[in-house]
Amino acid sequence: MSKNLIDLAVEELAPLLENKSISPVELTKEVLAHADHTEPQINAYMDIYREDAEKSAKEAEKEILNGKYRGMYHGIPMALKDNLYFKDKVTTMSSKIHKDFVSNYDATVVAKLREAGAVFTGKLSMHEYAWGITNNNPHYGAVRNPWDLDKIPGGSSGGSGAAVAAGSSVASLGTDTAGSIRIPASACGIVGLKPTHGLVSKYGCYPLAWSLDHIGPMTKTVKDAAGLLEVIAGYDKNDPTSANVPKENYLSKINGDVKDLVIGVNEDFFFNEVDSDIDKLVRAGIQSLVDQGAKVETVKIPTLQYAEWAELVTSLSEASAIHDTDLKKRPEDFGDDIRMLFELGQLPSAVDYLQAQQVRRQLKQDFQKAFDKVDVLISPTLPVAPNTIGEDFVDLNGKQVDLIDNIIRFTGPANLTGIPGLSVPCGFKGNLPIGLQIMGPAFSEALLLNTGYALEQTKPLQGRKPNLLVRA
Amino acid sequence: MFSLSLSIQELLKNKGIEVKEAHLDVLEARWTGMQALRGNLEHVKIDDADIGVRNIPGGDHIE
Repeated sequence: MSKNLIDLAVEELAPLLENKSISPVELTKEVLAHADHTEPQINAYMDIYREDAEKSAKEAEKEILNGKYRGMYHGIPMALKDNLYFKDKVTTMSSKIHKDFVSNYDATVVAKLREAGAVFTGKLSMHEYAWGITNNNPHYGAVRNPWDLDKIPGGSSGGSGAAVAAGSSVASLGTDTAGSIRIPASACGIVGLKPTHGLVSKYGCYPLAWSLDHIGPMTKTVKDAAGLLEVIAGYDKNDPTSANVPKENYLSKINGDVKDLVIGVNEDFFFNEVDSDIDKLVRAGIQSLVDQGAKVETVKIPTLQYAEWAELVTSLSEASAIHDTDLKKRPEDFGDDIRMLFELGQLPSAVDYLQAQQVRRQLKQDFQKAFDKVDVLISPTLPVAPNTIGEDFVDLNGKQVDLIDNIIRFTGPANLTGIPGLSVPCGFKGNLPIGLQIMGPAFSEALLLNTGYALEQTKPLQGRKPNLLVRA
Repeated sequence: MFSLSLSIQELLKNKGIEVKEAHLDVLEARWTGMQALRGNLEHVKIDDADIGVRNIPGGDHIE
């Protein structure tokens, strides 16, 4: 049994922990041993909390043996992205400037997971300050994609994506400002959910861009994501953007029934300039939902053509404002790639920024009109496959295109509008997994998760695993 | 081209930010790219649109 524990999802492990077939101590030891095996290859962890994890696992074991089972994440070993504050632990944001920063409080999501009985195995690497999509970090080294070690895992939550795919963290949390949960989820063949803005508190998360940031689950399965969202969602008075909405039981709403689902397809934007293999895989994913009873409608969202501009002006300006002082006083301590982004963020005018917010308002209205006709929108998560580490350009149907411009094209609109977006695997291009994005109206996470679950039942990953999972 | 680079350099210097020489071409290319993405925004009816600085999902006037 123990040899296969790292292959199991939370939804499979939780019943075994609850009925005492396995212990949190046994599971934690297995995950840490596996991390020892995979880390030299993928470099996902910033720090491993070996002693703390073993201590927490023992406490969880004691509670479960005493009949105090707290729920699905009780005794589950997981590491989190390095921009989430852990009380008395170093939180570096994978930067040099904050390499010694120690928070004196837990982020709300960390506190909620602690309360749920999760076992923290450590902190996971990210693109420096969460401002990039490669996770090729100049201070702590590149994180490698477990499916192909020469390729990026996506970013900025690249450590989270790689660790979950590799099994060195059973589940994780990422943060998403323009796609930083969904991009690595797509690249690493896992599930990534960017919830509705305000559903998950950002208190204790180092900001990248205030109005665009989100925190969400990165997991092996859709049900794992639903269970994790149940743990972390909820109003928080410490976060002024927190939404005071009722908590939902997302897991109980997953039944895989998509008979009356109306899927919106926007050909003009979300299927324009897409890698032909990815296009086919996403359309096949939509067809598999149609085969299960869903219907497809074509929709128009005119303002999407300005979304990337509005996203860039907003994120660059807000991020640059956050780092303004350090950019002036110690620019040499930033990695070159993000230093240039912060410099670029000083260039838009106040007029640019305000017009970007007007575009954003118009975009919200356009999406709302689309959701008056359809239940969900489906698109590729990424228009291109993950590139080789160190390359700034990526192949798009034989043409070399700029990586940054292309990789956030389909994920950024959900950050601008605050609507939820779920990336689920839909197949392979060569040896790399490909993700499909499902978007819906604000607070429609249950619907997105159920749609993702219906797709997951078609087994798009065909049971394949990254090769590095094999241990001697 | 060169004068545009200088203007970016000067603009940033005026804000107290020293830019590496090696960054100037990239900054210029990206800034030009952003202007291109802006496209013909002047022809789009956003004049009546309020601003969405606070990101309230689903519209900015939820009751």
